[in-house]
Amino acid sequence: MVASEIPMIEIRDLRRAFGGVVALDGVSLAIGEGERRAIIGPNGAGKTTLFNVLTGELPPSGGAVRLRGKDITTLRPWQRARLGLARMYQRNELFAPLSARENVALSLGARAGPYRPFVARPRSDYLAADQLLEEVGLLGREHVAAQALSHGERRQLELALVLAQRPRVLLLDEPTAGMSPAETARITELIGGLGRALTILIVEHDMDVVFRLADRVSVLHEGRVIADGSASEIRGDVRVNEVYLGKALAVT
Amino acid sequence: MTRAAPLAVVLIAAALLVTFPYWSAAWESSRFATTVLRDMLVFAIFALSLDLLVGYAGMPSLGHAAFFGAGAYAAGITGQRLATDQLPVTLGAAALVAAVLALVIGALVVRSEGIFFLMLTLALAQIVFAIAFQWTALTGGSNGLSGVGRPTLAGLDFSAPDRMYVLVAVTFLGVALLLWSLVRSPYGRALVGVRENERRMRALGYDTARLKLSAFVVAGALAGIAGALSAYSQRFVSPGDAGIGTSIQAFVMVLIGGAGTLLGPVLGAGVVMYIQRVLSSAIGVSETVLGLVFIAFVLLARQGMVGVGRAAWSRARSR
Repeated sequence: MVASEIPMIEIRDLRRAFGGVVALDGVSLAIGEGERRAIIGPNGAGKTTLFNVLTGELPPSGGAVRLRGKDITTLRPWQRARLGLARMYQRNELFAPLSARENVALSLGARAGPYRPFVARPRSDYLAADQLLEEVGLLGREHVAAQALSHGERRQLELALVLAQRPRVLLLDEPTAGMSPAETARITELIGGLGRALTILIVEHDMDVVFRLADRVSVLHEGRVIADGSASEIRGDVRVNEVYLGKALAVT
Repeated sequence: MTRAAPLAVVLIAAALLVTFPYWSAAWESSRFATTVLRDMLVFAIFALSLDLLVGYAGMPSLGHAAFFGAGAYAAGITGQRLATDQLPVTLGAAALVAAVLALVIGALVVRSEGIFFLMLTLALAQIVFAIAFQWTALTGGSNGLSGVGRPTLAGLDFSAPDRMYVLVAVTFLGVALLLWSLVRSPYGRALVGVRENERRMRALGYDTARLKLSAFVVAGALAGIAGALSAYSQRFVSPGDAGIGTSIQAFVMVLIGGAGTLLGPVLGAGVVMYIQRVLSSAIGVSETVLGLVFIAFVLLARQGMVGVGRAAWSRARSR
């Protein structure tokens, strides 16, 4: 492999067990820079565990994770975030009583760090926060507390928080979960319109969203990758249809 | 209203506060009032330092008196052993010893949460209390440390009661100003972020353990300064200053006044000290009154006096 082809994220033989339950049973994936990869699979396939291990919130039982060739397996979550790994949570993980603007400003401030004790937060931070809020469609909602926003708006704010991190890699954990069709369309459009330099890993149950956003799809089943290919290849894969797609498509 | 008007009000109030013993001198009870106000301000500093942990960073420490006591003993012992009354030496020693102790205790507790955090801070502070109580050669043990001298600074002698009061009042204003600028800075906002969602702060790239430890050290140093002022004021340090009673006293002040605000702990210190020092001589059941006041706030007004005031203000405005 030549240097320029070092994958943005390389996962090798990743394992994680909870007692006797094996959630990840030797997962290997390589995701190139700028790629948009969806990870699909039935409930309990290990998708969320994979994300938790990638962000460092769960230590793996075995295997390794590399970010642009650098081994990050033992780094803490905040260290990984500083290397450009950002996660949009499935359930909202916001600062509930703080305003939308303050939420984004906290994310923006992570780069400079918190040790700026005797100065007010620079105006430029708030201007940058307002700009991000406008990008995700929350113009005019800057002063509303996160807890007072609608479910869809909170998802938009979530997206603003991760974009404020200026990530290299974005982990999206069911970005459209619990959204109305209109809200789903809106957030799908927002994610689809993000810069192509950004590498995106997306876990999603809505197959329309998956096939609209992803270049490639990996199928996770019982802690293993059972198929890996372009969106159209995955649609045609017999095994994938058996374990997952057939059911999902039959429902929708 | 222009920005200058509130600033002028604050400056006038600050000037009146510092000069209280002089303009109240004609009152019959001026001396007593000065002493009570002095002790209110000492505890206001202590409660403010605890509020940085409880109200801003979301760390409900039950052992904050360890730092108050450490500062009190450090000021008293350095003054006596080094035979000095220099304020920078004794006050500096108090802040330094308390900060180092906070670094040690903080390192042990910042990764725990909930009931474990409460119990750990309580237990570690009790160890500090036990050391103060039993190391008789250094601290005077159960007899306490008596004969603590009052400090001097650049030829200014703070022995007289009114001057001692001025030293406390000026220090209080300095600490309040420091905390005011701290809590509105990116540092203070990050502490609030940790309080609201520590997991998300980590995911955003903040080393939250280190951030919480730094708050512990700042709060510890300020509590140490309050302890030193208490030692100068009383000319005495009791092991109880480092004990659970003192920790809870500050905690009650923060909760009654309003956690997560700067005005709250000051008001809380005023109310608690008023009940303990003024009301207690009028009625015999002042501790019961304090308990009832505390229960009333916990049950009816979780946001404390500042919260009640804000609610009343917004009701009045919406009318």
